Amino acid sequence: MEPARLVLSSAPHLGMRSSSARMAWLVAAGLAPAAAWGIFLFGVPAAIVLCVSVGAALLAELLSSFFLKKLTITDGSAFLTGLLVGLFMSPSTPLYVPAAASAFAILVVKQSFGGLGRNWMNPAMGGVLFALLSWPGSTSRWTGAFAARNAAALPPLVALRQALPSPTGGAPLSVLAASGYRWSDLDARVIAWINTHVFAGLGTALQPGTFDMLIGRTPGPIGALSVPLLLVGAAFLLRRKIIRWRVPVFFLSAFFFLTLALGGIASGGSWLSGGPGFHLFAGSIVLGALFAASDPVTSPLSSRGQIIFGISLGVLAFVMRFFGSLGDGVAVAIVLGNCVVPLIDSRFDGRATALSRGRRE
Amino acid sequence: MNASATRGGVTTYNGELALLMSLTPAIAVAVRVIDALWMAAGVVAVLLLSRACMSLIVRAGNPGTQKDASPPQGRFFSALIVSSVLTASFEILLMSADPEASASLGIYAPLIAVNFLVLSMTRAVDSGTSMGRELADALGRGIGFAACLILIAILREVLGAGTMTLFPVGQFSGVIAVPGLIDDPARALGLAGGGLICLGYLAALVRLARKRRLASGTAGESSKDGPR
Amino acid sequence: MTDTRKLPHGGVNPPNDSNISRTAPIANALVPSRAVIPLLQHAGTPARCVVQQGDKVSEGMLIGKAEGALSANVHSSIPGTVVAVTGITLPGGVASQAVVIDLEGEFGKSGKPRQPRAWEGASRIELLGRIQSAGVVGLGGSRMPTHLKLASAPGSPVALLVANGIDGEPGLSADFALLREKTAEIAEALRICRALLEPQRIVLALGEDARELAGAFEEACATSKLACDIAILPSTYPQGHEQIVLGSIGVKGAPGRSVILNVATLHAVYEAVVLDRPLIERVVTVAGAPVARPRNLKVRLGTRLGDLFEECGGLLAAPGKIVIGGPMRGVAVSSLDIPVTKGTSGVTVFDESAARTRTEWPCIRCGACVEVCPWDLFPTRLYKLVRQGSLAAADREGLSRCTECGCCAFACPSHIPLVAVFHEGKKALAGGGNG
Repeated sequence: MEPARLVLSSAPHLGMRSSSARMAWLVAAGLAPAAAWGIFLFGVPAAIVLCVSVGAALLAELLSSFFLKKLTITDGSAFLTGLLVGLFMSPSTPLYVPAAASAFAILVVKQSFGGLGRNWMNPAMGGVLFALLSWPGSTSRWTGAFAARNAAALPPLVALRQALPSPTGGAPLSVLAASGYRWSDLDARVIAWINTHVFAGLGTALQPGTFDMLIGRTPGPIGALSVPLLLVGAAFLLRRKIIRWRVPVFFLSAFFFLTLALGGIASGGSWLSGGPGFHLFAGSIVLGALFAASDPVTSPLSSRGQIIFGISLGVLAFVMRFFGSLGDGVAVAIVLGNCVVPLIDSRFDGRATALSRGRRE
Repeated sequence: MNASATRGGVTTYNGELALLMSLTPAIAVAVRVIDALWMAAGVVAVLLLSRACMSLIVRAGNPGTQKDASPPQGRFFSALIVSSVLTASFEILLMSADPEASASLGIYAPLIAVNFLVLSMTRAVDSGTSMGRELADALGRGIGFAACLILIAILREVLGAGTMTLFPVGQFSGVIAVPGLIDDPARALGLAGGGLICLGYLAALVRLARKRRLASGTAGESSKDGPR
Repeated sequence: MTDTRKLPHGGVNPPNDSNISRTAPIANALVPSRAVIPLLQHAGTPARCVVQQGDKVSEGMLIGKAEGALSANVHSSIPGTVVAVTGITLPGGVASQAVVIDLEGEFGKSGKPRQPRAWEGASRIELLGRIQSAGVVGLGGSRMPTHLKLASAPGSPVALLVANGIDGEPGLSADFALLREKTAEIAEALRICRALLEPQRIVLALGEDARELAGAFEEACATSKLACDIAILPSTYPQGHEQIVLGSIGVKGAPGRSVILNVATLHAVYEAVVLDRPLIERVVTVAGAPVARPRNLKVRLGTRLGDLFEECGGLLAAPGKIVIGGPMRGVAVSSLDIPVTKGTSGVTVFDESAARTRTEWPCIRCGACVEVCPWDLFPTRLYKLVRQGSLAAADREGLSRCTECGCCAFACPSHIPLVAVFHEGKKALAGGGNG
């Protein structure tokens, strides 16, 4: 029995079942809980913003496929980029903003540099930064129906900035309380219940707004608000080894400790009063750290490089949030960090430098 | 002959797009169309007049022959002085003609002298050739620079500000509002980074076009040569 | 003493279905009606053919004589008539002369139990001579003539002698089965090697999945008064690689060299020295989904793959790809007429769906290859360097340290053929260096 045709290919003859394309789709799946929560909270307008940003990204990818004569839409990266851009947008943003941001992300940031794997800047973050520079406030704009329906008229971070410098000083939530920032009725009820039933005996009390911040029932970007749901999605991806833990963990830790130590001073208070919890839950830092900074294409290869990258992102995000004017500083921090990845890759990967040193000796 | 020198300055030796030189005015000035127009006018004028003067100076060294008598170092300094004088005159003219544009050009108006030097560094013709060729080359350079600058300015002002600023004539204030963009333009393109992006894509397009032309050109020649 | 150790770095855990083949005893394959015996079955120069067409050969008769420093004898594995001496192409595209023998006549030697001959009184030269004339080479895949490894060089004492009992690839279990069934013989072979090398320490390296064999081996050592440690190493691929075994066992600061021999090689040494039998058969794992009865077979060298599959009940499905060796490093072949040689530790068959080429995606710098590379290389960067032709830079990055173990390409989610590119790069580098 002589077989008709035997495949001749080089070893190894086994491979992983997963593929890069599947990884992109899985990351999108990891974002699904937060996206669903955003749509649940903000209703149809949020869904429309997401559809527009994803649709624009897919269209842009198709358009570039036409020019590059290579159909790349199935690799899932365009969908993921569009989704991420949409999640960074406020639900009351005019629809041309997510559309332009997604198109910019795909056409300029990704495809102009050679497509998936060759882009040195995270496409979604590039798109968001373009939107922030062109239409300031596109991630925090809060107008129309939303302003009427929700108790709070502004995202907490924006309100905090307006309330500072505060005559009373202190932690962000107390500053907001003093400035008359209104949280939802649900928050008031839950906090009151917890304070009377749990904390009364301990002699302390929760600040109003804690509950709203925790579950993300505040004005702000569609996908960035519910930190617990973002963590659920990220845990799923970490378990499947699709995102790497070092960049997000060191990013958020560096940001946490800097905010704890210096955040108070930056907003006119004292040492160690920065309210790092508030700053982690406000704005899009957790979304950015878990799903944009961890993008393998635009982060260093070696584990040491990833740690350095993560810490630099934390520092940059801190500086940009407290001294910058571009939204909450996450997108610009990640884009700036992306710029130094090649440097980190060539300078700080222990093994390669040891190797070249060994050669020189 | 002279026409080809001009064409070379616009395309092959285009300072902005082919050689990526004198980027600063493109990024800093080309935000309003009118600024770009003034800048372009200044550069073209200074280029033409300086090159004419330089041609005369070089010949004056050794009258009657085509030979270049003045040493290259001396030539550089005389070019610097000539262009500086012409640039200063242009600045004064601009200040009286359009004070607003003069203010918004700011430091970049005096820097025309530098642009002249940069654009003359890579001349397509040898120094000391005929005045006509010198001028043709300078004209090509100037037009190439001007066209590029104006194109970038149009792109950036229309998309980044939603307007198009031209000369005010009578009732017309000179500012055309672009409907749909004026309310909420993509301000990022008005920033320095936006200028670089526009310049990059323009350069890429020009290179692509040139590559296509070269490819088709060689194909045509080889088919002509083929049978023989 | 038994101790468990870790792989220094990297490695992968591909699906391992060797349980199917490892539980059954080694079966004796039928003697093939025709044997195709290549004269190049070892590293180095081919043996010189000493028979002609029409010659009668007996089993174990010398048909190829070692020529040059790195060469080994080749013997007839079956009795019969030489029908041709012809050129064939070995797996991987290597050309070699081969002696084709048709089975005929009587079995002189095999089948009958042999009287062991004493070796303890023999001189070192004589022992090495027996190993050399039997044509023993490294059966784990290195195919180095074994007598060269066992010749003690003056002034370089041997610190460590390792018997490598870890199968080179996932899915192969030939070494495991041999160690299970020939424990005493392998212990005896280690004593022979001890006499030759006088190492300070002898260690048997076992995979975690072969822990059950440790007890029997310790008993065998006790009977033959051999002081041998057992090191249990993780079954992460490529733990069976010689350098990784040595690195895991670790001779820190001990002077002298280390010698490592595969257990199949040790068994061949035993047969050569004690039973005076040349290397004419070996244990081969036949594995893969389409094989009806995957198992370990004791096969005459020169048996063609087609005959081998028939021994295993044939193939249930049409094969899409046949690989000499295991799934990670094996070489794909195009014909069922390829013979089993000294270096063939296994044959793996893939069905058509597993043989299909997978879509290649762009590199997304996920770092999976960096994580699994046991040699601390950056395969993704090496790949880019080799692809763009910067071979010198790739060399600086350590291209020459790549052993083509296949971990990076296995782990790559973009299915980039990293190993194939490195193989080409190394070839180009070697070519450039010589020329």
